[in-house]
Amino acid sequence: MEDWVGGWWDRLIRRAAYRGHPQAAVALADIERQAPVFFRAMGGDPALTVRSTVGAAHGARRRLLERVAGIGERVELGWRDAQSLYLPERIDLYPDAALNRELYFWLMALAARDDAHHGGDWFARNRAATAACLRQMPGLAAVYARLAAALLPLRDLPRRADERAQELAIRAALQQPHQAIALPPCAQPPQPVPLWLHPSPPGGGQAHCARRDGDAAAEDEASQRRDSKARRRYRARDGETDERKNGMLMVFRAESLFTWDEYVRVNRHTDEDDDSDDGAAAEDMQTLTVQRDTRRRASRLKFDLDLPAAAYDDTPLGPGILLPEWDYKRQRLVADHARIQPMLPRDAAPAALPERLLPMARRLRRQFQALAPERTRKQGEASGPDIDLDRLVRFLAERASGAAVAEPPLYQAWPPGGRSLACLLLADISLSTESWLGDAGQVIQVIRDSLLLFAEALTACGDAFGLYGFSSIRREEVRYLLLKDFAERYDDACRGRILALRPGYYTRLGAAIRHSSRILLEQAAQRRVLLILSDGKPNDLDHYEGRYGVEDTRQAVLEARRAGLIPFCVTIDRQAGDYLPHLFGRHGYTVAHDARRLPQVLTRLYAGLTG
Amino acid sequence: MAATDIPFYQPAGDECEVFAHAWRQQLPVLIKGPTGCGKTRFVAHMAAQLGLPLFTVSCHDDLSAADLVGRHLIAGGDTRWCDGPLTQAVRAGGLCYLDEVVEARKDTTVVLHPLTDDRRMLPIERTGEVLQAPPGFMLVVSYNPGYQHVLKTLKPSTRQRFVALSFDFPRPEVECEVVRHEGGVDAELAWRLVRLGGQLRQLGGHDLDEGASTRLLVYAARLMASGMPARRACEVALAEPLSDEPDTLAALRAVIDTQFGS
Ligand SMILES: Nc1ncnc2c1ncn2[C@@H]1O[C@H](COP(=O)(O)OP(=O)(O)OP(=O)(O)O)[C@@H](O)[C@H]1O
Ligand SMILES: [Mg+2]
Repeated sequence: MEDWVGGWWDRLIRRAAYRGHPQAAVALADIERQAPVFFRAMGGDPALTVRSTVGAAHGARRRLLERVAGIGERVELGWRDAQSLYLPERIDLYPDAALNRELYFWLMALAARDDAHHGGDWFARNRAATAACLRQMPGLAAVYARLAAALLPLRDLPRRADERAQELAIRAALQQPHQAIALPPCAQPPQPVPLWLHPSPPGGGQAHCARRDGDAAAEDEASQRRDSKARRRYRARDGETDERKNGMLMVFRAESLFTWDEYVRVNRHTDEDDDSDDGAAAEDMQTLTVQRDTRRRASRLKFDLDLPAAAYDDTPLGPGILLPEWDYKRQRLVADHARIQPMLPRDAAPAALPERLLPMARRLRRQFQALAPERTRKQGEASGPDIDLDRLVRFLAERASGAAVAEPPLYQAWPPGGRSLACLLLADISLSTESWLGDAGQVIQVIRDSLLLFAEALTACGDAFGLYGFSSIRREEVRYLLLKDFAERYDDACRGRILALRPGYYTRLGAAIRHSSRILLEQAAQRRVLLILSDGKPNDLDHYEGRYGVEDTRQAVLEARRAGLIPFCVTIDRQAGDYLPHLFGRHGYTVAHDARRLPQVLTRLYAGLTG
Repeated sequence: MAATDIPFYQPAGDECEVFAHAWRQQLPVLIKGPTGCGKTRFVAHMAAQLGLPLFTVSCHDDLSAADLVGRHLIAGGDTRWCDGPLTQAVRAGGLCYLDEVVEARKDTTVVLHPLTDDRRMLPIERTGEVLQAPPGFMLVVSYNPGYQHVLKTLKPSTRQRFVALSFDFPRPEVECEVVRHEGGVDAELAWRLVRLGGQLRQLGGHDLDEGASTRLLVYAARLMASGMPARRACEVALAEPLSDEPDTLAALRAVIDTQFGS
């Protein structure tokens, strides 16, 4: 009974003390589809993704009621690091939902403008970024004026002189960001300013990221919880390591992605009671303890290397095909250097198109069907169901003028396969595709969906196409997965193979491109497109990494182009941008920044490329 | 020619000088650049500046050599040869402008070859005539080298016959002048539009196929100049033409609000 009363009292006082306005709350989820576009338009780095933040302790004085209720010490603020833009998961600061929504947009504009190289402190930096935004965006200035005016009455004016001076300076800066004011010193941290970026973003420095190597406790892989909060995912960053120089790139990346509920120890605040609610405790987490379990990494690596491929997984077809590889140091092709092993995905049972893709597939089929007939019509045929009137008139006029002209072909026809186009889609399914893309799911999942939808679209317009996946384990085994051969009809067997794709191994991109080129060259079509779906980072366990892999891939692309194929790369990797132009040429690739839209990007690209 | 007859063109660099030199040296010119960045206007301006008649052809994939060179027509039971725009330009010693030349079929562009090397001649197969281009004649072609066009490029043997100029959206100061002059709005409004254009161009290539063109900024300015509320003008001139995706459109409206919201 006492317990029950206690709980009731607790809830009551929490509600009374809570400063937010839950009835006017706006969630990040409500605007998350517009957020990346808006952020980029504001000049934000296109490589960043938008994520929700974890509340951080602000350390400022709380109201008495808040202290009694044990709330109000965490605040969710926006910030940015090298990977992501972090925004509060919910904003309910204002009693008016429109204002809460505007606050999201304001934070994005501010974060895009914020300059990490600005010498000043948190106060000066936010003031400068605010001033810059207001100068350049009169519309946004009006929004800001509303937000700032509504914020002031929500802030407390402390009684102690130094705290009071500090608060007054903040208010002045909020109202007149153009004026250079300094923040007076004060023992107490200032009250959080929700209109500004985070003063000391979590995870930004090593201080927040204590690393514990070799802790066996992280072995437990099974504890995956996929609620909305699990989407707050962080990528462990290694300050000094350049990923491109790292030979263990794929392993490193896959292993360094973690969800906090899997790997992170919650470091609870001391004045909190030992609340048994895990969720609440996790909410309060501010210090990340990254556990890099060396043993697990090693065992994964061993698994990659030691298992005889043929024995346990995908079904190999035939003994393999030897291909050359480019050695940039010697500037020549080394013959028979890589072995392509064609295979079928293991455990692939015929399957229908997944329910969730049906609406999109229907739309794509309609669009692509509409493209097909117009394109197949051909003028100036030697025979056909219709007369080519233009040519006939021209011919008659010329003959009547006395010029001696032979009779040209004068008919219109719709010959089968009139578009004369063949497309091979090659998908990278190496271990890096295991990584997560926020709420878009895993990369591999996006790739599977894209392949499925792409196939629906191409089936509708009747172009010849083939679908293949690849990964590699050194040069002896470049695994080339047959999903839909050119000669094959696209059916449930193919869909099943696509659905059975699993991430694994490395990326010997050059060999996969060379083999694809060979297949494509066998197709009798006028235009042959080689679409490559990859992060564009060649790497394998041996010397195939860094410069060597890049140059071999580039060479394979050049060979394809010389043979008259049209190679084109589509990538969803945010960091790949820098050497894609080197590999594929300036107009030979595109980056799909929003992975969820990869299927649309692919199909639209195809229509655009070939239309 | 009076200066007022020359179409307005705000130079971004030395393109006018390069063009004039090329014309004097009888060299053909290739202009690359995104849609609506002023290529057509530039050519019109230069033609007027140099006092040359302008013959423009918009190329498409059905364009045949006969469409450029000319053909016999039937008129009143009789047939009559009719010059195509290319032939007309050669005869008149004028400027022939082939817009979006990559759209034309490769066998069509081959008729340009003898005209664009030092022979400067145009053989007309159907009549047996061979025209020698007079000194005034100049061939100008343009295209938009976005990734949408990787399948359509010029053959190297065609490309390498041209002096090439790369166009891009003009610098803010230059573009502001353009928007002010062409759109009939004041400098303050023009600046806001140009800044909005810059914001929208950040999205070209990923969220949008191509960023907002100068042409669209001019459209928005003209709608405002004719009394339309600014936000609505931007919506119809700068958001809707760029995307069909509802989410992207919503984001574009939020971007518009950063300049024209209240
Ligand atoms: N430098 C400039 N000076 C004057 N007007 C310009 C300039 N740049 C752009 N414009 C304006 O933009 C409009 C579009 O330009 P224009 O038609 O020349 O584009 P374009 O490059 O030929 O595009 P497209 O490739 O789509 O044909 C012009 O009508 C003009 O109003
Ligand atoms: Mg034009």
